[in-house]
Amino acid sequence: MASDIDRFAEEIIETDVLVIGGGLAGCPLAAKAAEHGLSVTLVEKSQTDRSGNAAMGINYYIVGANPQEGVTAQQLLEWWTNTYVRWTGGTQGRFTNPNIMYQQWDKGLWAMHELEKLGVPMKWFDGEYRYVLDPLRLGDLKVTLNVLWLNVKPILAKAIKERGVNLLERTMIVDLLTRDDRVVGATAVNTRNGKFVVIKAKATVLATGNFARIYNGDMAQSWKYKFHYHWNPATISGDGYAAAYRAGVELANMDLTGHGMIVDELAMGYGLLIRNDGIPGKCLNWRGEEVPSRYWQSMPKLLELEQKGLTPLYYTIEDVLPDDFQKRMEVYLNDMRLATFKLAEERGFNPKTHRYEVPPPMPYTFSLVTGINVGEEYQTSLKGVYAVGDNAAGLHGAYMAVPSGFLLAENLPSIVNNTVEPAIDDAQVESQKEMALAPLAVKDGTEPMELECAIRYICERYVGMLKSEGKLREGLRRLGSLRRVFLPRLMAENPHYLMRALEVRNLMDLAEVHINACLSRKETRGDYIRLDYPEIDSARDNMITIQRLKEGKPILETREVPDLKPEYIKEEA
Amino acid sequence: MPAKIDYRKCIGCKKCYDLCPIDVFSWDEQMNMPVVAYGEECWHCGICWMECPKRAIDITYPASFW
Repeated sequence: MASDIDRFAEEIIETDVLVIGGGLAGCPLAAKAAEHGLSVTLVEKSQTDRSGNAAMGINYYIVGANPQEGVTAQQLLEWWTNTYVRWTGGTQGRFTNPNIMYQQWDKGLWAMHELEKLGVPMKWFDGEYRYVLDPLRLGDLKVTLNVLWLNVKPILAKAIKERGVNLLERTMIVDLLTRDDRVVGATAVNTRNGKFVVIKAKATVLATGNFARIYNGDMAQSWKYKFHYHWNPATISGDGYAAAYRAGVELANMDLTGHGMIVDELAMGYGLLIRNDGIPGKCLNWRGEEVPSRYWQSMPKLLELEQKGLTPLYYTIEDVLPDDFQKRMEVYLNDMRLATFKLAEERGFNPKTHRYEVPPPMPYTFSLVTGINVGEEYQTSLKGVYAVGDNAAGLHGAYMAVPSGFLLAENLPSIVNNTVEPAIDDAQVESQKEMALAPLAVKDGTEPMELECAIRYICERYVGMLKSEGKLREGLRRLGSLRRVFLPRLMAENPHYLMRALEVRNLMDLAEVHINACLSRKETRGDYIRLDYPEIDSARDNMITIQRLKEGKPILETREVPDLKPEYIKEEA
Repeated sequence: MPAKIDYRKCIGCKKCYDLCPIDVFSWDEQMNMPVVAYGEECWHCGICWMECPKRAIDITYPASFW
């Protein structure tokens, strides 16, 4: 079919599979899909060698069900539902389809071996799998491995290059392309040379990060530096979520976005040293009086102490036995290895005797249940587009990202074979290009960072930890005026700032979805606090909050969480 | 303070320019050296510092980290 698409696309790529995001879900998926003989194009805003959550290395990985060690998927599902979601600032209960989670835990060992085949080391220096005392409260279950993953990203990047994946680095996704209610690819822009790229794909997989940049983030704020360590990397502006949402894809639980996870932002990675229930430590108030250690992990309890003037709280491991300290040092969660040591050295603190300050509760978008609503085959609510890893509600974290990438890759050959050649709507490409590149032509406009900071200000001030109807409405109103007045005036003097401008557009869309979701949840549940509705609304038990755009209008509905399939419920021995 | 390049040690290998996740560096074609072009965006992850083969880059954490 003759097309005048060449007029406005500087590069047109046709591929079986388009992967958006080259992290711990995208890379394994791309490698595996290429092994299956599919043509794979991976678009990454940074580069694949050092980007995403694993950029600086990780030192632990949760394997999943492990029959040899007597760990079942059901046990892990229970733990995840009852403890982990809560621990990460979510709320207790089910908010996503438990069958997906079950299937992932169940295939965890398989996924780990697939990772090994890509060259990722899973064994310790001594050549053995090194199960550790679990930092995530899994008790005595042997599920968490200490791994030597300082270079996990360079290894994965090499694996996808060797398998012939077409890699578009420094390229940011603009929007998904749709035709007849089906996603047929995406448009993207190179953030260094401004080249506008059109990618036609039979299957599009979203594998980017979340949208934490609508809040200030975990780290100590300095006026000059606007990007911070957010537990997740600073690149996360929810590009996958936002593109999906604008295309009409359902997002889930955008209200339950959790709160800050870092314990001592000044000690950086060492602040995570103390997040380990396997080894005793003490929690003190500022007077040095001991408080139950659970207090620092419970939002309502922390607030109670705050109101009594008993904060800050400190966590200390100074009294632990040398042996226990050693164990703790070995297993502490730390994904910023070298930089952490550098900071400790420069600041001159001793990780053993340091009193780790528990910062006040900070809003954050790290909830494990937020994201794109996916089904058991990782399909979203629109045909042709799939979501894995942090992009999918319920599949956050390295140990969920990796299996989701591999499992979807197994289905991709049949998905691709059953899809006809995608046709692109030229007018849609043209309008996406016009919108995306517009900031390059604006002079004397608004810098993207100024607008991003304004969005964060609104989210911090009007949403935050303590929510109420009036504040949320005011936040929404102010966000609306930012959209009206400043979005058209966004300027970008070069492609680098164009990337920032596109990120701001994504953050703005998602902040709006987030506030709308919070307005609809008229209850207090776990760490989700509505000052005007202090009780749990039982009508929200086991419900997913779903939001999507229908003909440009936002729709919000709640839907029941599916039950765990009977075949997944095995009798306890 | 964001990444700071010591040009006496820098060999122009491009590692920092290639690997910065946030793309803080640009490349000076004339000098054939990296330049910290978007320092205010540095999030102090330390990747340039840890990857630099000549230890020509240092990062100092922002004052608010103390």
